[in-house]
Amino acid sequence: MGNLTKGDLLRSRIPLALAAVAVLALAVSACGSSSKKSSTGSSSSTSAPTSAGGTINGAGSTFAAPIYQQWGNALRSQGVTVNYQPVGSGAGVAQFAARTVDFGASDPALAPADLKTIKKGQPVQIPTAFGAITVAYNLSGVKAGLKLDGKAIADIFLGKVKSWSSPEIASLNPGIKLPSQSITVIHRSDESGTTKGFTSFLAAHSPQWKSQVGSDKTVKWPTGTGAKGNDGVAGAIKQQAGAVGYVEQAYALQNKFTTASVKNRAGRYVAPALGSTTAAGNGIKVPADLGISIIDSPNPAAYPIASQTFVIVYKDSCKAGVAPATARALSRFVSFALGAGQNVLGQLEYAKLPAPILAKAKAAAGTLTCNGQPLGAG
Amino acid sequence: MEAGTSVATGSRPTIGRLPAVRRQDVVFENGLRLVAGLILALIAFFFVRLYVEASPAFQRFGLFGFVTTNDWDVSRELFGALPLLVGTLITSAIALLIGVPVAVAAALFASELCPRRFRGPLTIVLELLAAVPSVVYGLWGVFVLIPNLQGFERWFASAFSFIPFVGGGAVRGPNYFIAGLILAIMILPIVSAISREVIATVPQDHKEAALALGATRWEMIRTAVLPYSRAGISGAAMLGLGRAIGETIAVTLVIGNAPTIGKHLFDQGYTLAAVIANEFGEAANDPIHRAALIAAGLVLFVLTLIVNAGARYMVRRAARGVRAPSGGRAAAPGAAAA
Amino acid sequence: MSELIHLSAVRRRRDMLMRGLLAAATALAVLPLALILYLLLKKGLGAWGASFFTTDPNGNFLGDPGGIKSAILGTLEIVGLATVIAVPLGIAVALYLVEIGRQGRFAGAVRYFVDVMTGVPSVVFGLFVYITLVLTGVGGGFAGWKGSVALGLLMLPIVTRSAEVVLLLVPDSLREAAIALGAPRWRVALRVVLPTALPGLVTGSLLAIARGAGETAPLLFTAAIVQGTSFNLGQRMNSLPAQIFNDVGQAQDRLVARAWGAALTLVLMILVLTLTARLAARRSRLA
Repeated sequence: MGNLTKGDLLRSRIPLALAAVAVLALAVSACGSSSKKSSTGSSSSTSAPTSAGGTINGAGSTFAAPIYQQWGNALRSQGVTVNYQPVGSGAGVAQFAARTVDFGASDPALAPADLKTIKKGQPVQIPTAFGAITVAYNLSGVKAGLKLDGKAIADIFLGKVKSWSSPEIASLNPGIKLPSQSITVIHRSDESGTTKGFTSFLAAHSPQWKSQVGSDKTVKWPTGTGAKGNDGVAGAIKQQAGAVGYVEQAYALQNKFTTASVKNRAGRYVAPALGSTTAAGNGIKVPADLGISIIDSPNPAAYPIASQTFVIVYKDSCKAGVAPATARALSRFVSFALGAGQNVLGQLEYAKLPAPILAKAKAAAGTLTCNGQPLGAG
Repeated sequence: MEAGTSVATGSRPTIGRLPAVRRQDVVFENGLRLVAGLILALIAFFFVRLYVEASPAFQRFGLFGFVTTNDWDVSRELFGALPLLVGTLITSAIALLIGVPVAVAAALFASELCPRRFRGPLTIVLELLAAVPSVVYGLWGVFVLIPNLQGFERWFASAFSFIPFVGGGAVRGPNYFIAGLILAIMILPIVSAISREVIATVPQDHKEAALALGATRWEMIRTAVLPYSRAGISGAAMLGLGRAIGETIAVTLVIGNAPTIGKHLFDQGYTLAAVIANEFGEAANDPIHRAALIAAGLVLFVLTLIVNAGARYMVRRAARGVRAPSGGRAAAPGAAAA
Repeated sequence: MSELIHLSAVRRRRDMLMRGLLAAATALAVLPLALILYLLLKKGLGAWGASFFTTDPNGNFLGDPGGIKSAILGTLEIVGLATVIAVPLGIAVALYLVEIGRQGRFAGAVRYFVDVMTGVPSVVFGLFVYITLVLTGVGGGFAGWKGSVALGLLMLPIVTRSAEVVLLLVPDSLREAAIALGAPRWRVALRVVLPTALPGLVTGSLLAIARGAGETAPLLFTAAIVQGTSFNLGQRMNSLPAQIFNDVGQAQDRLVARAWGAALTLVLMILVLTLTARLAARRSRLA
């Protein structure tokens, strides 16, 4: 077609046919929205792009997605749009390394294997919050939180304990009448920081789990249904009577799940709550790269399956290919996260960073640059 | 390009044309030829690109090993696609078992039994199933089929537990059967549309002859219609199979995402297409995982290629039986619908 | 049925039985559509409201989740661009096959591979665009126009195949008459063949658009899912199928309600496209 002159084309009926198709498409879609809106929508697709300066794209942890969503809403009034895709920590790191997003979000600290894949610049991991990974279940009639220890949870997820009324659960819960319902295990199908935290806890308390399954962002599950994201697991638990899964506490609250009290290293059964999550983070050692882990805390008041979560950015985003305006918006996001953002965490039962960690996180944020120029975050 | 050679064969005689006109025509023809060539180049690039990207997985696990190893373990970087392949085959087989008889029966009813007045509306209604997007079938499957069919599935599993692969395990929410059932509904329109077109080619004489011999309507269908259109209907079923194999989103939502071979009909599993949709994000920067997913895509593609080629062959053969070799390019029935 | 011939009771009963079975199977085939449309109307209309079409999804963790404005606009933009890519190219290829290539070897190869392309699962197209355009970082990562490319690849063979069938129906006598009058062949193709086949071409294109508009998998890989409205095809873009897919996974009543509302919107869009295409086809047959 390229060889035809414009005049020929114009005189022919091809444009007419195209126009007819386009007009029909628009007219049809108008039944969904108001017709004015849809026509402006299509026609302006070719017009000048809107400034992308205030938009930052992020992807990763579904564990932390509720927070980033909330922070994004708060930042919108300041002109910063946060497009956050909760795709799981594994995909978050992968997308960050592939530079399809401006920042990644991961619950576990970057592992050496992760670092090997990140080649476009030096990554900086900044902790943003702590949260509890709850063992949530859908068991009508059992209102009180069951007591479970690491071995019992491991045996359930190994498929060895098949019924809610089995002795291994009943012996931990004297006085609670358990239905003889079969257990359906729900786990993550994507690479997940929540899975990493949960399986690390199980591996620490069950030798069989450690040898047979291990702990990672994704493992070879012996049984159960896979679901994508914390939201997917929550949805699957809700859909299936007798189901058990592991979700961040905000998702348990959102779906009004009953959650188990879990035996910690000090031998106490602790329910997931803001206080016990905060306790898990107290007195933690902070390595130079900020790669903390608060799982299985020795603190007697701590909920044992608690996790930290990180935002991952390039130390020099601009050198990694991020536009300077976007890098500035990114740094505003980070300083909000470590500043005003900390104060709203409690609303969704996430715990603030303790002062010593927060100070180090702010120091790390202060080192962020754009083409060598400090961005002034932190 | 092989422009020079085929201009002569493709052109109509242009005797006595003005040179200017001829030049315009040459430009026009070569322009179109260029577009066609570009499309061909694009398709070639498509295959080469997929193959090159998938080759690390084939090198590591072997072409044969990749599809015959029952171990898809992302954390250990082991990618044996057998559970996915089996899941794809099981769900597609269920779709055929349920979908094809219903679709062919509906096609027979619409063309042989239905009063002429209702034939048009019935045809349209059957075809409208194709207008429902995959994701809407998924939505329906998750919130309507899964919760409402649990009772039936439990009853079925215990009542027919003597059939291998049916009984003997807890009925899961998402499972092979639900995925297969949704696929059966999704392939209904294409299978019934093509069956209908094939049935329409049965010569009126054959049918009238059967009726004249005193056959009932059903006997006429059995003795005149079905034998004549068997190949075409098989082709229609295979086209449906091709659809079922590649279907992604609806299946992803109701298959259970467990990369193991399910032990029974109501166990959860995974399919090739679903694993690609779920894992492409995290594989972005992991060369071997990415290669494995692309390899899964290639396997999927080769499967559909074989099935569709078989289907086209059968439908075309069925069509040729009736339409005399008119230029050898009688458009296969359902070409537009497919 | 002839009453002159005596039918044994067994044969008559079998006939009735089989007719009944065929009718029952037909009812069974129609049932899913009825069920889906009923539920879509029941649950979808419940979600529709003034703000449903005028607000973007806001991602709020609790409370009002927002509407589907960005998803509708995104679908229009992405599918619109895909149409601009696929329809002219698809028709040009068909024109080549019918007017120039005919039975030649090259045309045979093109025809064969276009056929092959119709069978490629949509997820594979998505994967292809993902590895060639998204991961290589051409113009950033995920972007609306990349979704259009994936959908365009999917729609192109549908357009070509239907256009070829329609162009073949244009009588040769028409072409011969025009050529006899001294018209150049390009003029014959563009001014005689295409206009004659126009209704059929519109039908094929509309069906291809309807098919593209409902696809989810290629968009997940290419345009991603965002909340805000964007008129820049160079950015990530929301779309109805992706929005529904996202909401289904979460099983929260407020999101599921939005998914039903969005599904009703999408199905109506596609139904109208499909029915328009059928009407156009019927008219062309009458002409």
